[in-house]
Amino acid sequence: MIRRIETFLLAMIDRQRKHFSENGKLARLHPLFEATESFLFIPAIRSQKQPFIRDSLDLKRFMSIVILALMPPFLFGIYNVGLQSLAASGGEPAGFIPAVTLGLWIVMPIVMVSYAVGLFWEILFASIRRHPISEGFLVTGLLFPLTLPPTIPLWQVAVGISFGVVIGKEIFGGTGRNIFNPALTARAFIFFAYPAQMSGDAVWVAVRDTSGTVIDAVTGATPLAITALAPTFDTIESMLHASGYTLSVMFTGLYPGSVGSTSALCCLLGAVMLVAMGVASYRIMLGGIMGVLLTGLLMNLLAGPDSMPWLAVNPIYHLVAGGFAFGITYMATDPVTAPGLDGSRWIYGFLIGALTVMIRVLNPAFPEGVMLSILFMNIFASLLDYIGIRMRFAKRVPNV
Amino acid sequence: MENLAGIFINSVFAGNILLAYFLGMCSFVAISKNIETAAGLGFAVIFVLTVTAPVNWLIFQFLLAPGALAWAGLPNVDLSFLKFITFIAVIAAMVQAIEMIIDRFSASLYAGLGVFLPLIAVNCAILGVSLFMVERNYDFMETVVYGFGAGVGWFMAIVAMAAIRIKLRYADSPRGLEGYGLTMIVTGLMAMAFMMFSGMAG
Repeated sequence: MIRRIETFLLAMIDRQRKHFSENGKLARLHPLFEATESFLFIPAIRSQKQPFIRDSLDLKRFMSIVILALMPPFLFGIYNVGLQSLAASGGEPAGFIPAVTLGLWIVMPIVMVSYAVGLFWEILFASIRRHPISEGFLVTGLLFPLTLPPTIPLWQVAVGISFGVVIGKEIFGGTGRNIFNPALTARAFIFFAYPAQMSGDAVWVAVRDTSGTVIDAVTGATPLAITALAPTFDTIESMLHASGYTLSVMFTGLYPGSVGSTSALCCLLGAVMLVAMGVASYRIMLGGIMGVLLTGLLMNLLAGPDSMPWLAVNPIYHLVAGGFAFGITYMATDPVTAPGLDGSRWIYGFLIGALTVMIRVLNPAFPEGVMLSILFMNIFASLLDYIGIRMRFAKRVPNV
Repeated sequence: MENLAGIFINSVFAGNILLAYFLGMCSFVAISKNIETAAGLGFAVIFVLTVTAPVNWLIFQFLLAPGALAWAGLPNVDLSFLKFITFIAVIAAMVQAIEMIIDRFSASLYAGLGVFLPLIAVNCAILGVSLFMVERNYDFMETVVYGFGAGVGWFMAIVAMAAIRIKLRYADSPRGLEGYGLTMIVTGLMAMAFMMFSGMAG
């Protein structure tokens, strides 16, 4: 049966090939054809001359692994979004199936819009500029929705992904040439353009009535938002505990928040997967964790009885709160926008962690800092590499 | 002391003279092709800012501000309309001095900076800092710190840009965006990332 489908697909693709070849009538759409073909099969055209790469970790496999590693937070996010929505509409504790169904109902449109609009731009640029469609887009198109609140209007998803793909990536010539992570560019753009839909208490839980339309977002404060409320508690920790956000709840991620980045546990799974497959740099991740812990401890030292409450928080909380785990796992390790040298990667990760904590603690305007910290460090990734190379040159014994 | 630290951090990050106010764009775009030259120009800007801002402060407070001439027996004279021309004159003189110093001590940097060193005199960032200093009513120490901080912020931005442009050599941008167009867009994206400091205390 499978064999049949395979031969059928192959025959179909072969029949279409001539239209997309150099002189075919659809030559401009060749990238689209190639992407479809290589997504389904190993391409018919192979390299004829040496050198052959023994084990080619090409872009396609690379990105497929990232997609695979994104599955735990994605699937968990679907469940969590449904669960929070059911919990917010009252009634008895929700079962697994209804939660997943509702979650799919809320999350899938966001993901589909992100993919459809992003793919439109990708194909447009690929056809006009004649570069191949890269699988990198599949990652961007999934990363972006996972960082959004579930109540986001779909047109904002479309605007965001358009900005991310076109300004963040395509004008640089496509995947591999961009300076800033496209998903983060999109997210930051939406964040500054439509702050009302991206922050505050009211956006993190989607409630729908039976007809499927969003009634209204209910208040479901994220852990980071709770800490911004009146400081009637002694410490952030007791405040979080009083609202039911213990360390373990925050670790597993069953609380209101953006679609896919609440669960540190799922991100940890993804991180292990990425590192084991050799796709993401563990140096960036460990550097980031060290940055968070050290800066958190430093802030603890600065804390006094009447200083800002966030100063005194246990650094472990910084690791599991908000989107840090998600950001450091999937976005900071983006091979294109992160530095390429090992030493630079440690520093890059460390500074992302340190900046995240500093923004959370010292900047009352943003309760969450990891996305912008990564974007900020993207600026300096190239400089870190440059300094690293210069230091190597300095160490090298001169030719005499 | 805390106030001074706040002013410094603010002028480097949240109120970055280049990425928040977009002052000094011309030399930023033109000189950021090479890291060494960019760093050299950055240092020159730090130096010019640290010197001109306090000098302009002294001139403004004791000669130009309303009532500043009270020590000369002229309490009703207000010469603040002269601040633009005075500030520019001071800046031009300082730049001339620095140009001679660089020419004497680093011929390669002098050659690298070329026409852009004299152009620091009309770098909007320099005049902008002096005008902000008046507008925000900084005292002397605050002005020194602000001038230095603004310079460091500008330095940071241009060096980062120069490093990014190494990477941009591999970019394949649409015609019409090549070169300066892409640089301007990258500057905008950098400014967006710098916005994370906005709202920070200080």
